[in-house]
Amino acid sequence: MSQQEDVCRLSRDPLSLQEVVDAVSSSSCGAISVFLGTTREDEVGGRRVLGLHYEAYESMVQSEFRKLCADLRGRWPGVKHICVHHRLGVGEASVAMAISSPHRHDGQQAIQHCISQLKARMPIWKKEVYHTQEESWKENSECPWSTSARLLTEKLHAEKTRACVDEAAGGGAS
Amino acid sequence: MTAQVSIIYFGQSAELTGLKEEEPVSVPTPISSRELWELLQQRHPRLAALRGHVVLAVSQQYVPVAEQLVVLRDGDEVAVVPPLSGG
Repeated sequence: MSQQEDVCRLSRDPLSLQEVVDAVSSSSCGAISVFLGTTREDEVGGRRVLGLHYEAYESMVQSEFRKLCADLRGRWPGVKHICVHHRLGVGEASVAMAISSPHRHDGQQAIQHCISQLKARMPIWKKEVYHTQEESWKENSECPWSTSARLLTEKLHAEKTRACVDEAAGGGAS
Repeated sequence: MTAQVSIIYFGQSAELTGLKEEEPVSVPTPISSRELWELLQQRHPRLAALRGHVVLAVSQQYVPVAEQLVVLRDGDEVAVVPPLSGG
């Protein structure tokens, strides 16, 4: 069983941590690193989240997952199996993932990178529905084209421009 | 040259256009991703709400809205991709 197996599953059923753990178990691995993403109750602005609506570009989720797995193995060659289950319905957990590795260091690092990259690149969208009947599409700050990421880029660019101008002004006074 | 492609809309872009998919859409090729985005905004002016916070995906490859030239072929899939919220 030396074959590396990578699985990404989108499901409307409740997620099972045991399932993702079982999917990556291997006799050559002494560590299984896991991450479980849960749904936080959003009380911002006094609005309760009544429900969640998910959308996914399913074929591209799979192609992005393949790229992610290649990225993970490039950085941590010891990684054995990778399994990600993502919920597309309302429920306690939104994502469950497990990575097996011979020793724990690679798996622990890889699982952190896996969730960061998933948030930055997986074509999945989530809309919160509030008790006020308002709705809001969520945006991951990890996503480079999110509103917050764009604002940060603009802010950093403006600061850099100011720094260059200051430096040029200082240099020209000789 | 033109190509007959399908355009798929996700998240807020589907709400703004009222569509999940439209095909075939005749698009000049090659075309910059910026011009492609402008073309989509012309078809659906409400998409302007996403300006600055959107990318495209052409044949499942992310393409930022910029001067990047894209070559389209008949049957290609172009997706409008608002900010992601998976995980």
